[in-house]
Amino acid sequence: MVDTKISKQPKRVPISEDLLTTPLDRLEEVRLKGTKCRSCGEVVLGKSTACQNCANQDMEAVVLGNKGKLYSYTVLRHRPPGDYKGPEPFVPFGLGLIELPDGLSVLAPLTGCDIDNLKIGMEFELLTEKLYQDEDGNDVMMFLFKPIQT
Amino acid sequence: MREVSIVGVGIHKYGRFEGKPFQDIGREAVIMALKDANIEWKDVQTAYCSRQRLPSSTGAKTLADLGKTGIPIVDIEAACASGAAALKHAYMAVASEFSDIALAFGVEKVPRGFMDPSFDYSQWQVHAGMSTNPSYWAMKARRHMEKYGTTELQIAKVAYKNHKNSVHNPYSMYQKAFTLEEILGSRLVCDPIRLLEICAPNEGAAAAIVCPKSMARKFTSKPIDIAAVVHQTALYAADFRVPQTSLSAKIANPGPTVVTSRKAYDEAGIGPEDLDLAEVQDTDAFCEIEIYEDLGLCEYGEGGRLIDDGVTEIGGKIPVSVSGGLISKGEPVGASHLGQIFEIVCQLRGEAGVRQVANAKVGLAQVLGAVGQCATTILKK
Repeated sequence: MVDTKISKQPKRVPISEDLLTTPLDRLEEVRLKGTKCRSCGEVVLGKSTACQNCANQDMEAVVLGNKGKLYSYTVLRHRPPGDYKGPEPFVPFGLGLIELPDGLSVLAPLTGCDIDNLKIGMEFELLTEKLYQDEDGNDVMMFLFKPIQT
Repeated sequence: MREVSIVGVGIHKYGRFEGKPFQDIGREAVIMALKDANIEWKDVQTAYCSRQRLPSSTGAKTLADLGKTGIPIVDIEAACASGAAALKHAYMAVASEFSDIALAFGVEKVPRGFMDPSFDYSQWQVHAGMSTNPSYWAMKARRHMEKYGTTELQIAKVAYKNHKNSVHNPYSMYQKAFTLEEILGSRLVCDPIRLLEICAPNEGAAAAIVCPKSMARKFTSKPIDIAAVVHQTALYAADFRVPQTSLSAKIANPGPTVVTSRKAYDEAGIGPEDLDLAEVQDTDAFCEIEIYEDLGLCEYGEGGRLIDDGVTEIGGKIPVSVSGGLISKGEPVGASHLGQIFEIVCQLRGEAGVRQVANAKVGLAQVLGAVGQCATTILKK
């Protein structure tokens, strides 16, 4: 056997398999995953076995739109409690609810914006970025939203 | 169903008590309630203990040193509404004729600092930094400001009022008045919510002893009736709260405080205009403004005006958080609602000293926490 040296590119893994579409090679093509109720049409982020609105169990996996408007926001001024994997030392960041065309607002960290000048109604788009490297050397990919440049 | 009265209440100061075991903290509140009711421990037939961060059978462990009388002692947990769930079960035990004398008590020792987020959040939310409870309150505040023009000054005024009220409450963790400048100058935690506008989880205990209304005067000359005790969890899309990751943009069901208070008013046969005081879940100062509206103390969008007009101050039409609220007392989660009950019972008996609301006859206590665990209790003289 010939020992083929493979250049070690870190493998990308989603922060949760229920949240991001794969593959993760082309980050601009990655989308958020949701679940839609076939009875009432309500959509939630991630995986769900029954509808929280009508308790129906006939659910379908959907891919969510990648652009939306800021429904509300805050700025985290201090390091969040627990095993936070963001930058050290801590950098304050915006956290927002982005209203997507699919009929739901998604809670997500905001990036690429002035945290002191956020405004409800601002237009944002999805961005997938490395949050941290896990113990196996994988890049763990997280979803964020960044302002759409106009 | 029998009508139910509270015949004794007790409390252990809220705060930090390093080295003092939860058994001692809880037992002090229970002993105070027993004395208040002139009831011997051996006469209690059922006990419910509310706690969130304490071990299995906290209730039985706390009460063991009063005597192992063999009664059923059950721990109850429902996040910030835990104390209400315990009170409701004690109420049901008496109302259903299962017991004549029942004890509801809450005890808590929450570790210092922010609560361990793994209790409430998925691991990925913690890793991504989406695990700060005040961030949820802050986003609700920001939305209210946008929709109704509520201001940071109005939010600060709630904190000002509650800190001012706490000065006269010996059971409060903090008993310190702050100026509006100090509140607005305190550091931002999650915009627009500031440090002096949020409540700290802590330690403490509170207790209430209930019996049938028909027997209450055997024990006390000042029984207080439970007119309603309603505990529910939030409907879908009714609330945005830990640990939600998305919110419907199509459906807006009535919030849990609306649901529990309407049901409580209905059971008590009163309306919000009949209230003489309220103790509420002011885990942050903005929440109190939202609660004014949800309880029907004013129309939607008018909560800020209520604080501007002094309506909720002691001496106002409907004083709110006369104890100093959670902002000053802190929140020993499992005990919190029973602490509110302690305050309202004292007020309705006319025993609240400097913070007494004149001629108080009807009081309401409201709590709301993780997953939309919510309760409203109405007490009547």
